[in-house]
Amino acid sequence: MDKLSQKQAELIVRTMADTAIRNEAYFSDLDAVMGDADFGVSLAGGFNAVLGQWEKFDMSSIGSFLLGVSTAITGNTGGCSGPVWGTLFMRCGMAFRGKNEVGLDEIIAALKSAIEGIMKRGGAQLGDKTLVDALDAIVKSLEKSLESGEPMMDAFKKASDAAVEMRETTKDWVAKRGRQSFTGDRSIGTYDPGIVAVGDMTKAITVALSQEG
Amino acid sequence: MKKFVNDPANFVKEMFEGIYLANKDKLKWVPEYNILYRADLPKDRVVVMQGSGSGHEPAHSMIVGPGMLDACCPGNVFAAPPMDYVYECTKILAKDNENGVLHLINNYQGDRMAWDMAREMAEADGIKVGVVIIDDDVSVTNSLYTVGRRGVAGNFFVIKAVCAAAANGASLDELVELGQKVNSRVRSMGIALSSCTPPAKGAPIFEIGDDEIEIGIGIHGEPGRRRDKIRPASEIIEEVFTAVHDDLPFQKGDRIALMVNGMGGTPISELYLLYGLAAKKAEANGLTIAKNYVGNYCTSLEMAGFSLTMLKLDYVIESLLNEPAEIPIRVF
Repeated sequence: MDKLSQKQAELIVRTMADTAIRNEAYFSDLDAVMGDADFGVSLAGGFNAVLGQWEKFDMSSIGSFLLGVSTAITGNTGGCSGPVWGTLFMRCGMAFRGKNEVGLDEIIAALKSAIEGIMKRGGAQLGDKTLVDALDAIVKSLEKSLESGEPMMDAFKKASDAAVEMRETTKDWVAKRGRQSFTGDRSIGTYDPGIVAVGDMTKAITVALSQEG
Repeated sequence: MKKFVNDPANFVKEMFEGIYLANKDKLKWVPEYNILYRADLPKDRVVVMQGSGSGHEPAHSMIVGPGMLDACCPGNVFAAPPMDYVYECTKILAKDNENGVLHLINNYQGDRMAWDMAREMAEADGIKVGVVIIDDDVSVTNSLYTVGRRGVAGNFFVIKAVCAAAANGASLDELVELGQKVNSRVRSMGIALSSCTPPAKGAPIFEIGDDEIEIGIGIHGEPGRRRDKIRPASEIIEEVFTAVHDDLPFQKGDRIALMVNGMGGTPISELYLLYGLAAKKAEANGLTIAKNYVGNYCTSLEMAGFSLTMLKLDYVIESLLNEPAEIPIRVF
């Protein structure tokens, strides 16, 4: 697997959806510590819409598929999570237009564009204790793997580990964006639900991809 | 709740159907995306669209026509249009037209994000998109749904001027510049006597006592500066006029357009009473009222209340306001 196939891209999105829906209560509980306890419900709502609209997506390329996912997510995820997660899929969708398989370099470029888009949309910076920090850890890990010529699956596993690690790394940071930031210093010592969600999703993705073989 | 509705979930759709059926020869309707657009969509110039939430009629769904908007794609009542509504509408407008599409956006977080995403997607398709953000409300600096000021009834002047200029063949860049200029010269503030009830919610969006008014109300019932007791109209105009006048500030000798906008549930008699008071205040302050507007321009469903908008004119803006327009709302 030196290229990610469209079938695998679909599996990734389905796995993200499963993770969001399975962890609805857990993500909301994390949000309840410092936020307004709706993150899990919002995210599950968006990904439920993705699964519900699956048959209607334009599957002619990975890009067209992800743009459909983006639309479903944006319109059906409550609060500001909609545009944020929608932008993640939108930027990747734009990067993968007309492509039925993508290499690690293309995935890195797409994720970088997604991070830039999310930062612009939500006003978050690196270090603000948002999912941007988790996505950034993923990109940095993937870049290292690309440089050393590792197989894609190994690169994914390492990137997933990096994302999961961010959950602990950022625990003692002060939240500077989103609902969590309203509490200021009290956010120190708490998990950011968006960062946890990204970590849990990537972990599930590597399992799903390796099982699929 | 007592309203003329069937299933409240279909309120916006059925309203659109009514607008369409009354104007079948002039408008096209795309029910899936709440899109109304001119049947004779121009292909040889920039086209202009606006969205925002429904519930503010005649803005924006009833002001599509020659000299005004080329299309609208509002969301549900008091909800920003979803990103795909804006994207689909932009694509319709850009078909066989390379002059570009202008997005007029009221400054609310939900709108900003949805329109921003739609613009990105349209630009990736090779469509030229220009953006004008409208934020004329002087009541509060930040609010429930905004970072910065809210866009309220002053949007009418941005729409009218920009659409007239578009009809005259202005370029996308020129229209963005014009829209920003009009927005920078227009100020508004609103007062509510009553709350309003979105059909799908079925209950008033806020409580207000029989003898209370909300000063600086937003067009979605967002709180303004303060709650107060009802007072004589002249005292209310005094406060609102001063807030609007001093914000720009307007200066002696300015030519202005003066608007008393109804929030939906105020009799036109009261609106003219208020206009008379405001006009006298304007003249006492050395302002020349070159254009006046009294009626429902940007409402909050059946809310009783009004907003006062003042626009500082220049020759260009005044000429554009005088250009003819033809929209579904008419009294002839």
